[in-house]
Amino acid sequence: MNHDSWSLWRAQVAAILRLEIKKNFLAKRGLWIYLLAAAPVVLMWVHAALNLRDHRVCDLGHDSLIFAAMFQFFYLRLAIFFGCVGVFLRLFRGEMMEKSLHYYLLAPVRREVLLVGKYLAGVITTSIIFCTGTALALIALLVHVPRTAAEQYLFAGGGLGHVLAYIGTAALACIGYGGVFLLMGFLFRNPVVPVVLVFLWEGANPFLPALLKRLSVIFYLHSLIPISVPAQGDFAFLAILSTPTPAYLAVAGLLLIALAGLWLAARQVRKLEINYGVE
Amino acid sequence: MAVYKRSYHGYSGALTPEWSRFAIIPRYAYRRLFQSKIMTAFFVLCFVSPLVFLSLIYVANSFGSIAGLFGAKGARSPITIDGEFFLIYLGVQSPLAFILASFVGPGLVSTDLSNRALTLYLARPFSRVEYVIGKMSVLLVLLSTITWIPGLILFGVQSALAGGGWLIHNLWVAWAIFAGFWIWILVIALTALALSAWVKWKIAAGALLLGVFFVGAGLGQAINAVLDVRWGRLINLSDVFAAVWSNLFRMPNGRDISPTSAWIMLALVCASCIWLLYRKLRAVEVVR
Amino acid sequence: MTGNEIVFENVSRFYGDVLGVNRVNLAIPPGITSLVGPNGSGKTTLMNLMTGLLRPSQGRIDILGVAPDDPERLFRFVGYCTQFDSFPRGMTGYQFIYAYLRLHGKPHAEADEMTWRAIDRVKLTDAAARKIAGYSKGMRQRIKLAQAICHNPTVLVLDEPLNGLDPLVRAETIALFRSLAETGKHVIISSHILHEVDAISDQVILLSSGYVVAEGQIHGVRTEVEDHPMQILIRCNRPGALASRIFELDTVVEACVHNDGKGLLVRTRDPDRFYLMLNRLVVDGVDLESVAPADDDVNSVYEYLIGPDGGSI
Repeated sequence: MNHDSWSLWRAQVAAILRLEIKKNFLAKRGLWIYLLAAAPVVLMWVHAALNLRDHRVCDLGHDSLIFAAMFQFFYLRLAIFFGCVGVFLRLFRGEMMEKSLHYYLLAPVRREVLLVGKYLAGVITTSIIFCTGTALALIALLVHVPRTAAEQYLFAGGGLGHVLAYIGTAALACIGYGGVFLLMGFLFRNPVVPVVLVFLWEGANPFLPALLKRLSVIFYLHSLIPISVPAQGDFAFLAILSTPTPAYLAVAGLLLIALAGLWLAARQVRKLEINYGVE
Repeated sequence: MAVYKRSYHGYSGALTPEWSRFAIIPRYAYRRLFQSKIMTAFFVLCFVSPLVFLSLIYVANSFGSIAGLFGAKGARSPITIDGEFFLIYLGVQSPLAFILASFVGPGLVSTDLSNRALTLYLARPFSRVEYVIGKMSVLLVLLSTITWIPGLILFGVQSALAGGGWLIHNLWVAWAIFAGFWIWILVIALTALALSAWVKWKIAAGALLLGVFFVGAGLGQAINAVLDVRWGRLINLSDVFAAVWSNLFRMPNGRDISPTSAWIMLALVCASCIWLLYRKLRAVEVVR
Repeated sequence: MTGNEIVFENVSRFYGDVLGVNRVNLAIPPGITSLVGPNGSGKTTLMNLMTGLLRPSQGRIDILGVAPDDPERLFRFVGYCTQFDSFPRGMTGYQFIYAYLRLHGKPHAEADEMTWRAIDRVKLTDAAARKIAGYSKGMRQRIKLAQAICHNPTVLVLDEPLNGLDPLVRAETIALFRSLAETGKHVIISSHILHEVDAISDQVILLSSGYVVAEGQIHGVRTEVEDHPMQILIRCNRPGALASRIFELDTVVEACVHNDGKGLLVRTRDPDRFYLMLNRLVVDGVDLESVAPADDDVNSVYEYLIGPDGGSI
């Protein structure tokens, strides 16, 4: 493995990224992913607009709790989860179904390089979509409160850290779920049932023994959320009750899950064959 | 001299009636569906709960005799067979119907679209409407066999055991079973077909069908929390159905959704699905 | 084995219980090699095995010294025009080739130049900016061909490359294959159109039901088919007179006057000896116009070895 190989792989990954990112962002069939990401943004902006119209003084503390609940229960558990299902399953399994994967396999690209390129494209796409969604929703949260209150929240009340934590958590969620669903795309011809099982597994996290808890993405994400909202009433069905783990361990845990997914997927991609007839 | 050898003659025999032509689709679809062992096993499993409910009906109606065998004369059955009993039956069978629909539905249209096979159907005396009815009927018949048909059989058994008085008094329950299941079947079948036509990929369509229910529920709660309203529940289809079913079964509705708004919401969902199918199911695709 | 051959050593491929190809042993030299056989005979399987899209269940494949499971080296010198008629969504013809060359690691300017060259070669310049989804069948076939040749491969694998092409483009494409073969490249073609195979191939590989039925130069293969004596058409002015003399030869199995009365169709077990003896047999007053084999082509070999309806032997 010399310098030439590395520079070739970098060029090839860049070529894959150009192709895949364009496909991911511009696919009409991926419109629903934008809708998922935009839903909280629209809600927060409507909330801000209504408050501004009615000249209501908003309680930032209350609003940030509402945002935290929405981020925790809707964004992480549903929007990013299903968004990653759509993007990462399409990378290989989707192209198998569309009978277009051979395009890549006829190029002088190492299968592992192809895998990394496609995974990175998925992570970049989902991160941009969902981190932008998170940021826009947070802007809506701050835009309708008095400027002094917003500044105080951001710079004195640890708000800036919260903003970065939310955006980082969204990106890490894409990395973690990406690794899981990329692998599923290889292991199952029809991954819908396994996706449901993962969804249930993530939901059942609070009831699992301590060791098994660590085998879920949501466990680590929950530890990274700056404001943890206890699930009551409406959100109870999406509750994640667990003792948070330190942030550095949570980040390491998530990266480990993603890497494990990638490593297992790399084993599969080496054996990958084009046999569209069985799809 | 020219020689015209004409060996081809167009078919001039009898044609099947136009109204029944859609049936060609389910005929082949079932054959293919039941080739899957998992699908067949799950379908059979769906009949377990009707059997359990049948046993409960028998026990409820023969409780006195059964209790008498154990020396407890004059004991009364703890199970009452009424609207609530059948509402519970509906609550048990409807998720099974949903799972079956998410297994079968997404592949019905998407495979035809992704393989560009729609042209083959529509190049024959077969309209888009007949195509949709044909595809829908696959789900409608399949889901009916595990939902309202056994439900009405249970109702019939109960009527036979309990007598004519019970039947006359509870005739509305039969309608509630029929209508409650039909509206469920219709909405999930239409949603499955529409999503399948939209994304043209059965895996994504399957995931989206699940997402419509899960994400809808989450989004509904988010709307209520952020905007401080109650209508967010209308996006939660599970709650909407619960409101409709409570109304049909004359049960109290604890969902903050009026039956009228729930019915309107379901009508809107159906209309959107039909619009999506109308837009997506075309014989030709214009590429720009 | 030389480093200039495509070698299959005892290669088998099964799809579950279904046989794809079985115990294939081949050494394919440069030039145009045609894979011929009925549907399901294993032509595409063989090509997919050659290019690493499928892995053999057993055996070994070697493409000019490189294993097919090493795509990074293999596709530097191999181009494959597949039979799959599907393309990455939303791409134009230009993007299809350009992106493929970028995957090779080519910088923008070089990839752009090579893309236009390949597109020009298949005469698609005017349609290059249009989306492939809007292309006709023939145009899709040509853009796939452009993809296969754009990086100047030394091994070109072409699965039914002439499908959907109009006669003019078909002739141009055949000329392109010939020119590539003449530069010492391997051009491997699968085709159903036997007279075209006959016209362009240096050697043929006949497949049936997953087995290699025959391989080699078509004349050599024909000579090996001993069950069917070779047919020779002799054009002459007095076929009846010639026929009476020809029966004196023990190698002749059958001779019949041609339908038009201006020739004689002879079936012989030993064509070489027959040609030698023919001059001695020609009697006075018989003018020979031409002597040519009548079934020394892929079509006849195919029919003799595989059957007229493409069934198994």
